[in-house]
Amino acid sequence: MIVLGFDTATRATAVALMLDGGEMLRARDDPGPDEHPGHATRLLTMAGELLATAGVGWRGVERIAVGLGPGTFTGLRVGVATARGLAQSLSSELVGVSSSLALATAAAGTPDAEWAGPHEGRVLALIDARRGEVFAAAYAASGSHSASEIVPPRAIAPDRLGSLIGLAEQHGAGAGGWLAVGDGAVRYRGQIEAVDLTIPDDSSRLHLVDAGTICELALGERPVTAYEQILPDYRRRPDAELALESVAARGGDGS
Amino acid sequence: MRVLALETSCDDTCAAVVDGDGRIQANVISSQEVHDRFGGVVPEIASRHHLELVNLVVDQALADAGVALEEIDLVAATQGPGLVGALLVGLSTAKALAAARELPFAAVDHIQGHVAANFLAGEGGEPAFEPPFLCLIASGGHTLLTHVGEPGRFTVLGRTLDDAAGEAFDKGARMLGLGYPGGAALEQLAAGGDPEAFSFPGSRRDRLQGGRGPGRQAFANSLDFSFAGLKTALLYRLREMPEAQVRERAADLAASYQAAIVESLILRAEQALERTDATRLAVGGGVAANGELRRRLGALAATVHVPPRELCTDNAAMIASAALHGEHLPYPAYLGLDAYATGEGSP
Ligand SMILES: [Zn+2]
Repeated sequence: MIVLGFDTATRATAVALMLDGGEMLRARDDPGPDEHPGHATRLLTMAGELLATAGVGWRGVERIAVGLGPGTFTGLRVGVATARGLAQSLSSELVGVSSSLALATAAAGTPDAEWAGPHEGRVLALIDARRGEVFAAAYAASGSHSASEIVPPRAIAPDRLGSLIGLAEQHGAGAGGWLAVGDGAVRYRGQIEAVDLTIPDDSSRLHLVDAGTICELALGERPVTAYEQILPDYRRRPDAELALESVAARGGDGS
Repeated sequence: MRVLALETSCDDTCAAVVDGDGRIQANVISSQEVHDRFGGVVPEIASRHHLELVNLVVDQALADAGVALEEIDLVAATQGPGLVGALLVGLSTAKALAAARELPFAAVDHIQGHVAANFLAGEGGEPAFEPPFLCLIASGGHTLLTHVGEPGRFTVLGRTLDDAAGEAFDKGARMLGLGYPGGAALEQLAAGGDPEAFSFPGSRRDRLQGGRGPGRQAFANSLDFSFAGLKTALLYRLREMPEAQVRERAADLAASYQAAIVESLILRAEQALERTDATRLAVGGGVAANGELRRRLGALAATVHVPPRELCTDNAAMIASAALHGEHLPYPAYLGLDAYATGEGSP
């Protein structure tokens, strides 16, 4: 099956094309600290380039796989809108995949040059949520390139990761050390290392959401039957709603 | 030629199908009625709703037009100005719809869209309003006066320096306790009031008694608009009036406030017609639905064209119309297009 997969949950834009037989072509855009994310400008461009390289026409794409986050709201909407538009235009299958699960899956059992040997313990996927928080989720590595969710993603301050680990261990996260991956792990390394876990080098590819993994995870999923079933995994409500509720709770009238 | 267009610059999720002669085959507008309790459009909430609705609205437009995507020759979307997060939902969807079929694409300026609403053929098949003409666009998001020399181009003669005219209506309505958005409620209340009961900035009475500062003179000589002073004047007026009196004179307040907004718009339209020797004037934006404005426009010494209400407020048919008269980018030249928040201009 030919799968076009992409992820826009972080500042990066990652695209992959899985061909019949499992061959994987990848392209990604990792903006520098002073650059704007290229979700709107790079996503379709890179997808078009991968297809051209592979000699596959858009009509040849059988399944669209998209990372649902959690992550940056606008980035996720660009990715999900693009996926839904492509699937609508191609009448192709459409699958949403957790970006946190993609991070954990790639880290599980993957030998990495910067990371000392195969990882068979537990994985924390940490995606930068801004405002001093990370979207944190806990997974148990279940063999090579496979992870199962123990604690679903939630927005928390990095210094509260200890309690998230405690919760994961109560819920049968198994044994072994914790590996923390993701742009949130890089950004808050200083605060996170107080907890007993390992963070690969900043330059490790384990910190990047891999669109190839999005494609692979999508293979095992049942496609949705309606576009509107594919929505970003926001994990945060809009500020305006929360503000309105807190005004109501204080007995104010909002004016 | 058949165009599929999307418009998501604010809080309406819109898709339309228009043929090469500017005849509307479908014009779907899904208004998000979720912002009222916030007293204004919340960008994050608008963006979430656009994403939920956008593909359904496209499907509905295709169904209304009785065509399949195979029969679409050009895809278009609003690129800006507007709320970037909201624009990106429509733009990303439209680019993807076009890319997958390697169709050409048109990125449309929202203001150009309001202008192009005048190029659409009427429901009864009556011909569109052809350039050259002046176009006054007044809505909750923008207020400007343009000169349209040819279909794909316009020049801005004047714009609002602060609030938009529709925003002034809504803010005034809110101060008068009419809720949000309250432009239409304010008009209703004003119907029973005396438009000359109070003197607000911009009104005829105010202009005759006007001050003469240098800044004021520069503004007077321009074709720009300003509504912030009017809003403040209403606020102060309400503060100094006892509550019972506000209730008693609400209709007069609304009528006088509305008259000041309409007067400002009409004054600039008159001045622009004089200065450019134009004889034709088109009007767009949600404020064009205002009855008092329409009445005053009718008295101008010009041929005035006001598109039907659903083409004055934000819609995708006007975006399709602008696309027909604008640049068509071949695949893959448009894949890297981004949305923009501010600025308006002809391409
Ligand atoms: Zn508008």
